[in-house]
Amino acid sequence: MAELLQFLTKNVGVSNSTHVDTYMGNGGYEPMMKALHKMKPEAVLNEVKASNLKGRGGAGFPAGLKWSFLPKEKKRIRYLVCNADESEPGTFKDRLLIENDPHLVLEGIIIAGWATQAKGCFFYIRGEMPQGARIFRKAVDQAYNKGFLGKNILGSGFDFDVWVVRGAGAYICGEETALMNSVEGKRGEPRLKPPFPAGYGVYGEASNINNVETYANIPYIIEKGADWYKSIGSAGSPGPRLFGVSGHVKRPGVYELPGDVTVREVIFKHAGGILGDRELKAVIPGGSSTPVLRSDQIDVPMDPDGLGSVGSMSGSAGVIVMNDTVCMVKAAVNLAHFYTHESCGQCTPCREGTHWLLDLLTRIESGEGKPGDPDLILQICDNIQARTICPLGDACAMPVRSFVQQFREEFEEHIRAGRCPLHAVEMTTVI
Amino acid sequence: MALIRIDDREIEAPAGENLLRVALKNGIAIPFFCYHPALSVVGQCRMCLVKVEGAPKLLPACSTLVAELPEDKKFEGKYDMVVETASEEVKQAQRGVLELQLINHPLDCPICDQAGECMLQEYAYEYGDSSSRMEFEKVHSPKRVDFGPHIVFDSERCIKCTRCIRFCREITKTNELTMAHRGVWNEIQLFHDRKLDNPYSLCTADLCPVGALTSKEFRFKERVWFLASANSVCPECSRGCSARYDTYRGEILRLVPIDNPKVNGPWMCDYGRLLTERIKGIERLDMPAFRRGSSLERHPWPAFAGKFLEKLSFYRKDFKKTLAVILSGRMTLEELIAYETLSEALFSDVSGTAPNVTRGEDDDLLIRKEKRPNLEGARRLGIAVSEENAAVADLLKGKKTALIVREDPLGDVEDEEAKAALEKALTGLDLLIVADDALTETAKLAHVVIPLPAWHEMEGTTVNFLGTLQKTARVLIPPRNRKPFYEAASLLLQAEGVEAPGGSFGPWFSKVKERIPELSELRVRDLLPHGVRLAGGDESASGGEA
Repeated sequence: MAELLQFLTKNVGVSNSTHVDTYMGNGGYEPMMKALHKMKPEAVLNEVKASNLKGRGGAGFPAGLKWSFLPKEKKRIRYLVCNADESEPGTFKDRLLIENDPHLVLEGIIIAGWATQAKGCFFYIRGEMPQGARIFRKAVDQAYNKGFLGKNILGSGFDFDVWVVRGAGAYICGEETALMNSVEGKRGEPRLKPPFPAGYGVYGEASNINNVETYANIPYIIEKGADWYKSIGSAGSPGPRLFGVSGHVKRPGVYELPGDVTVREVIFKHAGGILGDRELKAVIPGGSSTPVLRSDQIDVPMDPDGLGSVGSMSGSAGVIVMNDTVCMVKAAVNLAHFYTHESCGQCTPCREGTHWLLDLLTRIESGEGKPGDPDLILQICDNIQARTICPLGDACAMPVRSFVQQFREEFEEHIRAGRCPLHAVEMTTVI
Repeated sequence: MALIRIDDREIEAPAGENLLRVALKNGIAIPFFCYHPALSVVGQCRMCLVKVEGAPKLLPACSTLVAELPEDKKFEGKYDMVVETASEEVKQAQRGVLELQLINHPLDCPICDQAGECMLQEYAYEYGDSSSRMEFEKVHSPKRVDFGPHIVFDSERCIKCTRCIRFCREITKTNELTMAHRGVWNEIQLFHDRKLDNPYSLCTADLCPVGALTSKEFRFKERVWFLASANSVCPECSRGCSARYDTYRGEILRLVPIDNPKVNGPWMCDYGRLLTERIKGIERLDMPAFRRGSSLERHPWPAFAGKFLEKLSFYRKDFKKTLAVILSGRMTLEELIAYETLSEALFSDVSGTAPNVTRGEDDDLLIRKEKRPNLEGARRLGIAVSEENAAVADLLKGKKTALIVREDPLGDVEDEEAKAALEKALTGLDLLIVADDALTETAKLAHVVIPLPAWHEMEGTTVNFLGTLQKTARVLIPPRNRKPFYEAASLLLQAEGVEAPGGSFGPWFSKVKERIPELSELRVRDLLPHGVRLAGGDESASGGEA
């Protein structure tokens, strides 16, 4: 049984945890000093590579490998970007780190900057997180005052800056290249790849982008080593991981657990089980873009292999729990509405397809669906998935497809009965 | 060079070349909307998806580059790339994208100006399904948006390919347009306080693959399949853009640029196109005439020729001293040569001068300040060309008779004082002969008026400032007494009893070839479709390629 861990969340709940002195009093910034004074950049990079740290933004790409794609020539400008545009429905782990332990993230960024010999880092924070931006800005100021940022950091000869950039309210700006366009003040539309950010990123310079939680892991890898890191979790998902649990559970919240904890453990052991002691109906395991699981599919570890075996993925580890009062059609409408609203609209399939899906799902939900609708939905998903520049199209098509496939009965019942069967049940119980 | 296989064809292509371009060049049809050879690649319409061996998903051909593989990695031992453009998977993707492109499209083809030349319509027929599965209210957005002096926008027809945005950003660099809103509510908009009023705004209507951007001047005029077209040259400046003249029942309805890398690339300025509007008000001449007091005495060809020679006989002996001849860069090479022949017999070998009429400044795309299309041709024939906007009054000083062909010096002078002086000089002449295509201010003072066809009413050749020799076409047929200057010259020479090459284009073009040795081997068909660049042209100047 996986027990709660206390690494990434070590300072959460500690009084005045966002202050640099509190952080340093708890051993903070020592890994950074170790990296700057005792390790060459390549050694840091190799350590992170050896740890097999997987990106925590959703795609799970190995962070060390990503860093190594940056060009090495001395004269090239390299930028880091920290993706703090956390806006995937069901995902709220980065916010916890930014608001409670900004220095942990900042320290990770500085170490990554040293490893990649970057000029600075754009910290792109979601516009709807004003408090996080305030806290993080203050943390950056404190780090400058301590000499952890700026020119010649702690006498190492290394110059590094952090610029906090606030988003303006678009989910799509969490996509790496749309984020870069947004940083540059352009319309937040994903760029065509190639060229990849490692060669052509922010302002056309070589750039590396990682998620907040990814950076937060770096100090521990440097402090305790790659072998220690790999001893937590599984080979597919090493190290501690933050799981944001929401929905119909008794104790929603962020839980730090090894990457191979099972879905059942997360829900029943840590989050206290289903709200109102009702039946579990469905779980979205990794943020709203990941395919939904039925209640009989939750005995798998939350790593790529485990969730892959039931057709889903760990994504951003935002676990959304739904009990038996949830109408799956209505939930799908909710999802489709989000993606329709957030599509940037540059690619035809995503722009037009998401809206059509929303229309169809709404029709079924309101009891006016036609017998062919579920199949039409699946066909539209085929026409969206893997046909667009960025993954937003997939992010809508995958969960919608899974809702229809996993809960087809319920969709067909809506169409047959001309109304939502669940809501009818609720009504009678109330009366 | 990479060896690639597209469907069952083996094609050699340079590494780094755009896959869509390679396919199109080799006659392999891949549908596309947002791609345009002169604009940046955005890969967002997703219409050109193809299967590339080894790629995990379908790739847009427009943003896929031909790559070379190391020997041991080649497909089937020899191919650097294996591409499928017509497999079931690709067809399904094309159908899928097209269906999505159409679900919110108004399908108002019966009243849409683009119908008949609409890429969406073509592809729907070629790649799409015949029925729609869309059963919902379409997304509505603004219609009949006034974008600028010449462009109207219909957002519902727009397929969001962003060609127009990229044109204004990358070609004219005027940045009037942008995408506003998000997702299915995306809408092309003008930036605040801007109008789409750059000198090339009508190019956006050409670029628009659907009927979203239409020309105010052309819209609702005629269904495009009823248009009769001819490829010719724009006469409005020394660029001489290759243009297609679309006509209906004797009226030119629009000019569309022909993509000519030697001259204008795919673009053309609004001023040139709007020739269609300016020629509407022109008072044409249709019969040669002598002035008798305030009225004109009209005589049809060829009777006019005898009467004209009779009139000329009073002045001929003094021509050497008293005649001023003003020719024009609006005359084709054949017409210019015709004057030479004519002057030997009739005008005592007096040589003409072509005024260099300029207006404004050159821009860095197409527009030239020199406004005569064939001035370079005149130079190459050894005809004197005046300084920029030199006063014609000076040429008339001390002269008693004048022949002015295709120029309207009086109409072109802007300065009041100079105009008065010129008018005095012209009215003071004993004999003023004006040959032109319209009753210009100058022609109104003439003692003899000879009607000529307009630029678009005759065949000819012309040389632009880059030294590109192009052929003009007889887009419309003029009335029979409006004869090209070379034909008029032939008739006059015959009346004089001198042998002349006749009234058709061919023999006079042969005379041009004799004069410019470089052309001796040239056949007329070599001039199609893009003309021939002559030596000594301005090699450094681009032909409008972006």
